[in-house]
Amino acid sequence: MLNTEVKTEFIQIVGPGRYLDRPEELACYSYDAFVEEALPDAVIFPQTTAEVSQILKTAGRYKIPVTGRGAGTSVCGAPIPIRHGIVLCFSKMDKIIEVNTRDRYIIVQPGVVNADIQKALLPFGFFYPPDPGSMNSSTIGGNIAQNAGGPRCLKYGVTVDYVLGLEVVLASGEVIRFGSRNIKDATGYKLSALFCGSEGTLGIITEAILKVLPKPEAVKTLMVTFDDLDNTAKAVTDIIGSGILPAAMELMDQLTLNAIEDSANMGLDRNAQGTLLIEIDGVQEACDKEMKKIIEKVRENGAVHVQEAGSEMEREKLWTARRSAYGVFAKLAPDIISEDVTVPVSKVPEMIRRIIEITTRYGLRVGVLAHAGDGNMHPMVPADKSNKEEWHRVEKAFAEIFKAAADLDGTLSGEHGIGLAKAAYLPLVMNQATIDFMKKIKHVIDPDGILNPGKFV
Amino acid sequence: MTQKTLQNCGKCGICLNACPVYKLLKEEQASPRAKLQLIKAHDLHTLASSPFLKDLIHKCLMCGSCSAACPSGIDHYSKFMEMRQKMVEAHGETPAIKSLIYLLAREYRTRFGAGLARTGQKLMPTGLAEKFKLGNIPLKNFPEFNAVPFRKAHDDIISPKGKPLGRVIYFTGCATNYLYGDTGAATIGILKHMGYEVVIPKDQTCCSIPLLFHGAKKQAMKNIRTNVKALADIEAEAVLVDCSTCGEALKNEYPRLFEAGGKHLSDARNISSRVTDILSFMDLHFDLLEFDPAVTEKISVTYHAPCHTRNTFQSHFIAEKLLQRLPGVTYHRAPDFDQCCGGGGTFFYEYPEVSKKMVDKKIESAKAMQATHWITDCPVCRMNLAGNMDESDGLRVLHPVTLIYAALKRI
Repeated sequence: MLNTEVKTEFIQIVGPGRYLDRPEELACYSYDAFVEEALPDAVIFPQTTAEVSQILKTAGRYKIPVTGRGAGTSVCGAPIPIRHGIVLCFSKMDKIIEVNTRDRYIIVQPGVVNADIQKALLPFGFFYPPDPGSMNSSTIGGNIAQNAGGPRCLKYGVTVDYVLGLEVVLASGEVIRFGSRNIKDATGYKLSALFCGSEGTLGIITEAILKVLPKPEAVKTLMVTFDDLDNTAKAVTDIIGSGILPAAMELMDQLTLNAIEDSANMGLDRNAQGTLLIEIDGVQEACDKEMKKIIEKVRENGAVHVQEAGSEMEREKLWTARRSAYGVFAKLAPDIISEDVTVPVSKVPEMIRRIIEITTRYGLRVGVLAHAGDGNMHPMVPADKSNKEEWHRVEKAFAEIFKAAADLDGTLSGEHGIGLAKAAYLPLVMNQATIDFMKKIKHVIDPDGILNPGKFV
Repeated sequence: MTQKTLQNCGKCGICLNACPVYKLLKEEQASPRAKLQLIKAHDLHTLASSPFLKDLIHKCLMCGSCSAACPSGIDHYSKFMEMRQKMVEAHGETPAIKSLIYLLAREYRTRFGAGLARTGQKLMPTGLAEKFKLGNIPLKNFPEFNAVPFRKAHDDIISPKGKPLGRVIYFTGCATNYLYGDTGAATIGILKHMGYEVVIPKDQTCCSIPLLFHGAKKQAMKNIRTNVKALADIEAEAVLVDCSTCGEALKNEYPRLFEAGGKHLSDARNISSRVTDILSFMDLHFDLLEFDPAVTEKISVTYHAPCHTRNTFQSHFIAEKLLQRLPGVTYHRAPDFDQCCGGGGTFFYEYPEVSKKMVDKKIESAKAMQATHWITDCPVCRMNLAGNMDESDGLRVLHPVTLIYAALKRI
């Protein structure tokens, strides 16, 4: 609990209605979708940049940790206030400021939900490509802070590729604005790349200018099953290798598919060892041509069953099933760890083999789900954290999985971010000088370390 | 796999987008995910019980949208009801809710209460009725109580003309029995028109969802046993409801509550398997509906999909389909037709400021449809929507059966 003096100052900034500190309320901001929890001392809901600036000035004066939060759907613990202090929750700072499809951008406040951006663009025939699994709930501020991805980022790129400009409040309370409404902008450092994925450790995002794209004329969605997981992965590399870049290529192994089928009852093939959900989009004629080639490639790799979504409703059903994967897996045990190691696409078959070998060796269940087209793997392990012995095995297995990814020229995280989950493993993928360089940047901007302390820098 | 292991929340947050209260307030503590976490913290004794905890748990419409969206298959209903019971035991209930429970717990009390209220309505000076509000709803906007309770006014077996095609049980619910006799009359009219014999068991009583939602499980169980006994042994091809919340109770909650087994479980399952909402039943037998060719004038209609219609019966699309097939009706779908109106049983009374924002949004978009009739198949939604409008809004709120019955050929 913050002392009365500090509390009074914060309440003067936002009013009593947007300051919470009763234990029942604090408990609700102690978690995200990761397994750790930590209680904040207070939760504040800012609604303007000026409020955020004042809050940070006050927090800075008292050296109170400040952890940003959107909808709390992070799977790596990024918004968990591990050093307590304030949770700055942006869910009520949620205005869409400008939709400008002629100049191809949208300006939003950080609390706007990703899906609401899509809804705002739809009437104009435009869309915002990054589509994290949490897109119906997660906020754009969180998406930017974590440099979120999603299935169709295979073709379109991730959040950082769509941030044209940001307004950021620094730890000092100063407000900086960089980037512009222009797709091309070579003016100074590309600071948006620094703040994307900074996980709230460098500044607090209060406004974003995002690039948007015209919606492709045609979309085709294909579901393919295989009786061998290795062949499934090889089909992915074959398709990419043949020069086709689908919008998305989602791989699911048997355990994942069955968990989805248990929940959604969609008539999926429970015996399939591997399933691919492939989506292509673009001009109708090009899609038809590419689809033919894709079907050829999957057949060459021993596809058992090939099924095209006949309608928008069928397509939506397939994607809803895919998006539910994390949730359906979560019910298998009290806790779930879902990681997102990423390897070059040619190494996907090998990485899948290693994930299965490692988890089997540690006696764990694993569901392998992957945005396979860009090598972004999601091994999901259901387990019970209160079972110390089992949890120890989980930790050891993931340490080996991270190591395996690094050995295959991969990286720790494709789209979830580092958060609390992977901070210890940074040395696997960067040398000490690089880690120190990040720390130096952090120290210059936030010398007292009040912004999301206890995370990866 | 045991039931317990099936109840793990991965905290993914998909429910946030499904929850009408969260979407309005944008506060995690209003979300289904938070309620599960609070329940867990309370059970693990890391969070003390308090009146404020009770308030957070109760700030919920019990609409079931979270369960319907939850990929982990969590049964939020049972978890919330169980917790509400604990909270009420620990911190009591407001006098108003207590009286409601008292009334609904015995049919004679409900009847007596409705009678008193009717007398009250008649005696109350207009000025008072305009001034006093229940939640946001001025008393003058409440529906008038039925002069005679619907079930009392009707025989317990109603035969169609000629040889019956079949036989159905009509579970009327309290709303039709005491408030919305028009819904009941239309339902019976339609069923007779279709050629069905209608059985209205005299012993039926409150479905008890309001009691369960307010943690009064003991009182609820008595009613539930009465209902199970009243319905189970009657031979009929369907148990029909005109209120999807009663339907939710009969279909899902009763079998769950008798999980332990025994005759009550088999009876509850038997009833559950036959429960159908009147809209789905009409849709299934649409060929039996003969419309009056004389109806040529078109009225403009929009529809509000109640939460339990969506989440328990998924019959909101059926309601729309029926309205579209109705001669004399032009149907306009409001963009938010499937969003909650904020009624939620007694939610409109307990959280008027939240409820008001929800219902005002609904009214605004329904009015934009330029309709004259706003159709909805839940009595609380009906009361809430109608109660928050006045004549100048130009929208009449009705149950779909009333419109459908009016369009049928009289035989």
